[in-house]
Amino acid sequence: MSILQAIKNKVRSRSIHVSYVDVGSCNGCDIEVLACLAPRYDIEQYGIFVHNNPREADVLIVIGAYTHGWEEKLAPLWEKIPDPKAAIAIGNCPISGCCFDRRGSYVDPPVSKHIPIAAEVPGCPPRPTEILNAILSVRDLVFADWEVKRR
Amino acid sequence: MKRTVDVNIPLGPVHPCFKEPARVKCETKGERVIAAEVELGYMKKGIERIMKGRPWQEVMFLAERVCGICSVIHNMVFIEAMEQISGIAVPPRAAYLRVIVNELDRMQSHLLANFSYCYTIEHETLAMYLLDCREQVMDALERLTGARVTCAYMIPGGVRCDIHAEDQVVLRESLDRIEKELHRYASMFGNGPMIALRSRGVGILTPVAAREAHVVGPTARASGIAEDRRIQHPTYKQLGFTPVVRYDCDNYARIMVRFDELFQSIRLIRACLDGLPKGIIRGGGICKAGEIRYSGEAPRGELTYSIKTDEVGRVVEIQIQTPSIMNIEACCHSMIIGADSIADVTATFVSADPCIACTER
Repeated sequence: MSILQAIKNKVRSRSIHVSYVDVGSCNGCDIEVLACLAPRYDIEQYGIFVHNNPREADVLIVIGAYTHGWEEKLAPLWEKIPDPKAAIAIGNCPISGCCFDRRGSYVDPPVSKHIPIAAEVPGCPPRPTEILNAILSVRDLVFADWEVKRR
Repeated sequence: MKRTVDVNIPLGPVHPCFKEPARVKCETKGERVIAAEVELGYMKKGIERIMKGRPWQEVMFLAERVCGICSVIHNMVFIEAMEQISGIAVPPRAAYLRVIVNELDRMQSHLLANFSYCYTIEHETLAMYLLDCREQVMDALERLTGARVTCAYMIPGGVRCDIHAEDQVVLRESLDRIEKELHRYASMFGNGPMIALRSRGVGILTPVAAREAHVVGPTARASGIAEDRRIQHPTYKQLGFTPVVRYDCDNYARIMVRFDELFQSIRLIRACLDGLPKGIIRGGGICKAGEIRYSGEAPRGELTYSIKTDEVGRVVEIQIQTPSIMNIEACCHSMIIGADSIADVTATFVSADPCIACTER
């Protein structure tokens, strides 16, 4: 491993920008992601910074069961994120559709049909610590030695 | 008439200040906003269609998933509507426990709304204080019901689990702590000169415009309209409930009404704990056929369920009317118009506490 790669690994492990997008959830997972910001969980102590700008993001948090309004919006949003990038599905909805995937509803789960998902956190809703854990595990798996893996 | 418009500025659907996807399209002249339009349709899941034809045991849990922030009140209004249809009486202890859990849920929702507003006007210190305070309320909610967000505490004829003596002591202690902290944060917000510059006189909603737009909840009470569905609720009548009203009509008043309601919720929970009757928490009963239109006060305003059931307790028809849609309409027709800068648009929109998941269902 070159010195340059070592520096990149070091920097990337302490600087993760997160963007979150709600593609049709009940808000329950949404407020649990917001609760990660609270001083009790303190997401910023791990170098994770939550804001909603896809062009600066490394991790895209996807919440919700994929409604039809997002058909032409989620894939372009995913393309706007620069490499290396990873998407995390939070809650049951993006994984299976949860209680919304019934006859007569307007959802089209799972989200992995539409964009590649790196990690999934089941739960209705999952606890903030679990969300934090998922982001931290993706950090080591996806961002470390990214250039080496790409070759 | 031809209008001179400089730029059309769309805000959203993915925006740093909005928790949920909504698009606010502003027509601006310079920095002044002359017209605004809210575009919805990113969250439509069709939950009323899923509910139709299912037994109440399933609809009870689906009703919670209409909105994750105010899940307790959706559960409560649905269950009370089913009780009204079937003529099921609630034991007095269960009625008081319902009020405790409902007020705790209202507290966490109002704290989240005030957090969003402070975050939007870039007062991050106060926002983080409020979010930390919210975690203590969530702890109390988890201790009583067993879950943080979707707790399904109420069932027809009572509640799911009792409150123990040690839980009451812990709840009282945490209420004392929360009240002490909230007094500090409310005075920080109320007396902060920089906050007043961003909030006072911004986003005016006059009482006339509020009545025209049928505004509900804290948004209406900040415009001097004393409307609250809790006045008609029998348990709240026993507790001597009176709504909080302010007459300033601006962003500042809307946030301060929520702070006042937080203190009011703490008082109501204490009154419930003091006068908690002894006895059973579950009366039991059978859900019957019938039709009803029943309302309750959600943290954002009046919530109405219109339900028709058949003889085995299946929901044949259901219509839900949630509070946010009127507040969003009032927001884009009255409050945002004439805003002096684009930065005020997001702050005003967030001050009305729109819940898009509720609105579109």
